[in-house]
Amino acid sequence: MPLIERRDQDFLLHEVFSVSEFSKHEKFADFNKKTCDMIITEARNLAIKEILPTNKLADKENGHPEAVKLENGQVKVPPSFHKPYKLFCDGQWLAMCDDPEFGGQGMPHLLAMAAGEYFTSANCSFMMYPGLTHGCGNILATFGTEKQKQLYVKNIFTGKWGGTMCLTEAVAGSDVGALETVAIDQGDGTYKIKGNKIFISGGDSDLVENMVHPVLARIEGAPAGTKGISLFLVPKYRVNDDGSMGEFNDVETVGIEEKMGIHGNATCTLAFGSKDNCIGELIGEPNKGMKYMFLMMNEARQGVAMQGLGFATASYCNAIQYAKERIQGPNLMKAVLEGDLTGVPIIQHPDVRRMLMSMKAYVEGCRFLVYYLNSCFDKATVTDSDDEKTKWEGLIEILTPIAKSYCTDKAVEVASTGIQVYGGYGFIEEYPQAQHYRDAKITAIYEGTNGIQAMDLLGRKLGMRKGKPIMDLMGEVNATVAKAREAGLEKIADSLQAALNKLGEVAMTLGAAAMSEKALDAFASATPFLEVAGDLVMAWAWAERAAAAKKAIEGAKKKDVPFYEGQIATAKYFYEQLLPTAVGKMDSVKNLTGAIMEIPEEAFVG
Amino acid sequence: MEILVCVKRVPDTAENEIELNSAGNDIERDDLVYSVNEWDNYAVEEAIQIVDKVGGTVTVVTVGDEDADEVLRREMAMGAQNGILLNDEAFEDSDAMGIATLLKAAAEKGKYDLIMTGAQADAGYAAVGGMLAAMMDLPYASLVNMVEVGDGKLTVGREIEGGNQEINEIELPCVLSIQTGINEPRYVGIKGIRQVSGIEIPEFDAAGLGVDPATVGAAGAKTKRVDYFIPETGEGAEMLTGSTEEIIAKLIDIMKANGGLK
Ligand SMILES: Cc1cc2nc3c(=O)[nH]c(=O)nc-3n(C[C@H](O)[C@H](O)[C@H](O)COP(=O)(O)OP(=O)(O)OC[C@H]3O[C@@H](n4cnc5c(N)ncnc54)[C@H](O)[C@@H]3O)c2cc1C
Repeated sequence: MPLIERRDQDFLLHEVFSVSEFSKHEKFADFNKKTCDMIITEARNLAIKEILPTNKLADKENGHPEAVKLENGQVKVPPSFHKPYKLFCDGQWLAMCDDPEFGGQGMPHLLAMAAGEYFTSANCSFMMYPGLTHGCGNILATFGTEKQKQLYVKNIFTGKWGGTMCLTEAVAGSDVGALETVAIDQGDGTYKIKGNKIFISGGDSDLVENMVHPVLARIEGAPAGTKGISLFLVPKYRVNDDGSMGEFNDVETVGIEEKMGIHGNATCTLAFGSKDNCIGELIGEPNKGMKYMFLMMNEARQGVAMQGLGFATASYCNAIQYAKERIQGPNLMKAVLEGDLTGVPIIQHPDVRRMLMSMKAYVEGCRFLVYYLNSCFDKATVTDSDDEKTKWEGLIEILTPIAKSYCTDKAVEVASTGIQVYGGYGFIEEYPQAQHYRDAKITAIYEGTNGIQAMDLLGRKLGMRKGKPIMDLMGEVNATVAKAREAGLEKIADSLQAALNKLGEVAMTLGAAAMSEKALDAFASATPFLEVAGDLVMAWAWAERAAAAKKAIEGAKKKDVPFYEGQIATAKYFYEQLLPTAVGKMDSVKNLTGAIMEIPEEAFVG
Repeated sequence: MEILVCVKRVPDTAENEIELNSAGNDIERDDLVYSVNEWDNYAVEEAIQIVDKVGGTVTVVTVGDEDADEVLRREMAMGAQNGILLNDEAFEDSDAMGIATLLKAAAEKGKYDLIMTGAQADAGYAAVGGMLAAMMDLPYASLVNMVEVGDGKLTVGREIEGGNQEINEIELPCVLSIQTGINEPRYVGIKGIRQVSGIEIPEFDAAGLGVDPATVGAAGAKTKRVDYFIPETGEGAEMLTGSTEEIIAKLIDIMKANGGLK
């Protein structure tokens, strides 16, 4: 079972990003090359043997014994999830990067990302339970009081208790500021919480003893909109001062959704305080809830980018295997030249080969993006310079919406191509490809739709700190231009330079328009702008990969030669076939079309 | 109880396409992905469980080059306390007797109540455990699939012909070769891996072990592989491929079609 191309992971970790260099810093001293390799091997082991087999089981239609159930207000996850959940927690995989004081393992983000890729590719629905649990723990570890940390964080980071994120309400989806859940000050430091949250992933589960909900709500009398939102800590069962579990806290799961995909993860409707007996504690200060929640939202957005990568990877690896095994039709050349009509594996057909190549270009390009983004956390950790730290943090800010949207849009595209490679069998549920496609779609929607991400990029991130993050990103790409030139990849270097310059122009045009009377036209082009920014990142990735491969191919081991050749060939493909289209798209964005806002609403007749 | 478990680094069959080398007397070993011999994992797990119950330490030992360090480290991350690497160019291409000679020398450097090996490894001789016991003049049980610790002795279950089970008592110290399925080997977690990340694993060469280089390695080997080939698929055989579930489904279809199943 391939699941993920391990060779490619190793290439990125060691040959492109030099992950074990971080071990020179005392904080990461344990994570030398041997340790890194062992961690990836063991993550892979657990993912393939224990998590992957549950993926299809949990996807079965409702009514199947493995389907998620709601019984007497208690969510029952697919039974097959219990064993891997225990193994996952026992192996300390839940809080890989966090402070050891609270049960974390202090690992570099980059390494944790590579391990996480295995788990997510194996079963994303499963991983969302520990994934959101981690995000919840991180909020408390960062903004909680000493007492909140002592009572909650270790139980959360060890997976004993589960966590969620509770933003969405029927009236508050993309517009979180519209939420109606209220918090009533009890005068004793606690608040009564009242309101309904919908679409809460893993909102309840029988994997854990208790659930901990970070809930966004408005304190009575607070300002309207996001300025009046506070964040509350609301457990399902109250927690006594000695850490023992107290009475039920009136948090009820009143429904679970029927969905298109990720069936193994319970999407819950939660009623807080329907019996007027739900108590929450404030996290941090009043009315600053959005700021705190952004910590979790950013983590979740980066996590969703990884989910996209996970689906794309799984679909791609399946497609490779299938294309090598499925015999259909003769080899075109042999049929014409030799009259040999013997059927051959479909990987020999040019169009199938093209599909695999495009999948490879995006899967591995997105892997570069997601790994790079995670390496920025580690670079910010190991540097002593404040300027450097700000630089890496800025790069995280600007790359987060790009990674979230681009990786998930491409995931849907790649998963669709993954079905195409299988032909009719791809459409048949007995085969694995259809599930990846159905599952992948949600990644473009939750955690802020991709449209909202594009607005974040254009409206906030581009102009952030006078454009420093975008300038730094361009600086990073420029460094790769030089590297490619050094490696003798002149054509790639020239094209990357030209594409980068063009993207710079597009950003200037759009950024200026966004602050003018043409703002609506600018935002009408926000999504294609994010798309071309992502395309540029792919070009950057392939230049970086090709340069590293070119260097390594001399004196490479025999088995590694095709791998490096594959890197160089895919870079060539990207630069010859995909980048020119992207550059054309950059021109189209620069057009700043007025048509989208000119068309009268009445013209859309349904 | 002081337990020594002998482990081996072998090509991971799940991760490699195995090809023959150009000389045709072995598989192509360059660039293979290696892991711990599957049987040895069960042996280490059993040793850890015994020590968890009755106290003591687990030491893992392997004959190999510096790359073999990784399998020792892995088994230590699982829970073995000590590792020993037996590494010398003179050890290369040892036959089963050569390996047993080296393991005996290593075992005699400590004082072990129990020595375990996997039932077999990639070479498939299933000979090292038995030879080691004979050379050390210790009692031996092979294909062990159950161990209970008693006073100065063990009760061991053995898997015998036809899936039958045999229960024996065996006096300590002794040597056991362990069959898969005896337990469920634990997974290795991050904490365990971190704990062994900085550990120096002691290494012994021929001189360190007090072994005459002429008695081990290619020089001392009394058995020698002369050919290695993949048997050709004969007429009438059909290889079923796919996942286990798919293979089972196909097999049932075939049996039904041929009247073997109604
Ligand atoms: C399976 C699943 C799991 C989820 N898990 C969670 C969870 O754990 N916690 C949680 O809090 N939420 C969760 N959600 C909710 C999810 O984050 C929201 O569905 C999402 O943010 C979109 O909100 P909405 O559905 O109300 O759509 P809307 O906000 O109604 O959006 C509809 C369309 O309008 C666009 N749009 C809306 N506003 C604007 C604007 N101002 N400018 C431009 N375009 C706009 C959107 O991009 C979208 O295309 C989950 C949802 C699903 C389906």
